[in-house]
Amino acid sequence: MRRHKILFETLRFFLLSIYLIFAVFPLFWIFITSLKPSEEVYSYPIKYFPSSPTLSAYKYLFSFANFSRYFLNSAIVSLSASAVSTFLSLLAGYVLARYRIKSVYWILLFLFFAQMIPAYLIMIPQYVMFSRFGLIDRLLGVTIVYTGIGCAFSTIMSRGFFLRIPRELEEAALIDGCGRLRALFRITVPMMLPGVSAIFSFSFVNTWNELFIAALFLNSDSKLTVPVALYSFISKAGIKWNVLSAGLVVALLPTIFVFAIAQKYIIAGLTQGALKG
Amino acid sequence: MKSTPHHAAWFFFLMVLPVILIVSFLVVYPTIKGVVMSFQNYTVFTFWRVRFVGLKNYVEIFTDSDFPSVLLNTLIWIAGSVTLQLILGFILALLLWRPFKGRGIYAGFVFYPWALSGFAIGLVWSWLLNGTFGIVNDVLKKLHLIKENIHFLSDPNYAMLSVILINIWYGIPFFAIMILAALQSIPKEVMESAMIDGAGPVRRLFSIVIPYIKPTLLSSVLLRIIWVMNFPDIIYGTTRGGPAGSTNILPVYMINIVFYETNFSKASAVGVIIIAILLVYTLFYLKLTSYGEMEF
Repeated sequence: MRRHKILFETLRFFLLSIYLIFAVFPLFWIFITSLKPSEEVYSYPIKYFPSSPTLSAYKYLFSFANFSRYFLNSAIVSLSASAVSTFLSLLAGYVLARYRIKSVYWILLFLFFAQMIPAYLIMIPQYVMFSRFGLIDRLLGVTIVYTGIGCAFSTIMSRGFFLRIPRELEEAALIDGCGRLRALFRITVPMMLPGVSAIFSFSFVNTWNELFIAALFLNSDSKLTVPVALYSFISKAGIKWNVLSAGLVVALLPTIFVFAIAQKYIIAGLTQGALKG
Repeated sequence: MKSTPHHAAWFFFLMVLPVILIVSFLVVYPTIKGVVMSFQNYTVFTFWRVRFVGLKNYVEIFTDSDFPSVLLNTLIWIAGSVTLQLILGFILALLLWRPFKGRGIYAGFVFYPWALSGFAIGLVWSWLLNGTFGIVNDVLKKLHLIKENIHFLSDPNYAMLSVILINIWYGIPFFAIMILAALQSIPKEVMESAMIDGAGPVRRLFSIVIPYIKPTLLSSVLLRIIWVMNFPDIIYGTTRGGPAGSTNILPVYMINIVFYETNFSKASAVGVIIIAILLVYTLFYLKLTSYGEMEF
């Protein structure tokens, strides 16, 4: 029996190590490529480590390729869209969790169907609508669309978190003469900060990564977000893989960072009956 | 079903109103408008003289000689990706089940692909799988598994297999996270009594673990199918549907019509076909998981 256990533990350790390499290696290799000088990117045999690691790809990216602009655009768009949709989903999620009236059922069903519709599927009618309002090729337009696509899902998620917080505490505050909104933001929301961070992270990850809507809506170079910039890179002839790799590292870091700090809460959000992968 | 005096109806509607307005205006209305557009002749050039053209766009799609293979590709893409994501995610969850030192950190390192952009991941792997300078080819040759470089993404025989493998890499964390959470909800006593009864590991897996987490498995698979079907990002970062249409799945087919043909109405018609599939599938999902009878 004991020998079995040692054998099993060794096998487990071995398999987990292999999977770790499998999971981490692709990004590690992109990072290595981004540190190579241009002439070593296409050298054969392949150099597993750059002979003299250099940041020249990053320098090129931020000086010639205007990447700081794209990064800033992405940050503005995804942070504001996520902040607004998280805030609104807290308002709606709160009453959807606390009220026991028939409307709750119908609103939840409405939100359930709405969040089933993938964003890329409705980008054309949105484009036509937004061109009427003069919101094409403007970051504001993309921000509004992003706020809309995350809202339904965030609300369902936020309701789930509110359901787990006992209502007695707010009720005590209400009796003390505290306003409803004040009771919500002074007492309940601070108690579900993990939930809030999960909702915000979900929404940030989705908007930071979104390509198709941004590619359709944004045309001028100064308006591009990071994914669209990468998309236009690969269409350009003569783009070097060390520069593209540097761009990928910069594009992937923010969501890795968000995942690293909010991982526990994201996993809680994913497993608590949240519906999106 | 009664509301306390503290919970007035006006407060309820005031609080849900912003979300309902936004979702109606930015999701529901565009969906309806998309259906209408699919019967019109919107292109970038006919923007201001739009008229109804009946079923023209649908006829065009259904008579497109590529369309049957697009449907078939979509099925292969879904079946291949979801099956292996599930099996490997399950195995990973089982390996992580019993706590060990550093499990949290390990999970962080292997679950992170969940947060990455599918498009960027497509680009990452297109460099790794590059037919000339790709490290995967180099490693396979060093291990004497292949003699000639494989053009993973530009050879029609390998392209679909390659994008599915990338998608598996990307999707394992989702299943592992869901299944691990379900495994941790199995009461200790149930497993212990099975062990006392002398049930071996395989027996325990099939007669206790799998039946216990079946609802999670079912709902994760059903949700993942819908999600993978609507996931053109990896393919857009690698092959954009090529070579020779070998990785062209429904959403890629639609987006290519938007970006390259700029025929908005025809793309909308593809969108309506996808929505129809989604709707039928969602009703099926609701029935199977009884989400429709959710408590509130």
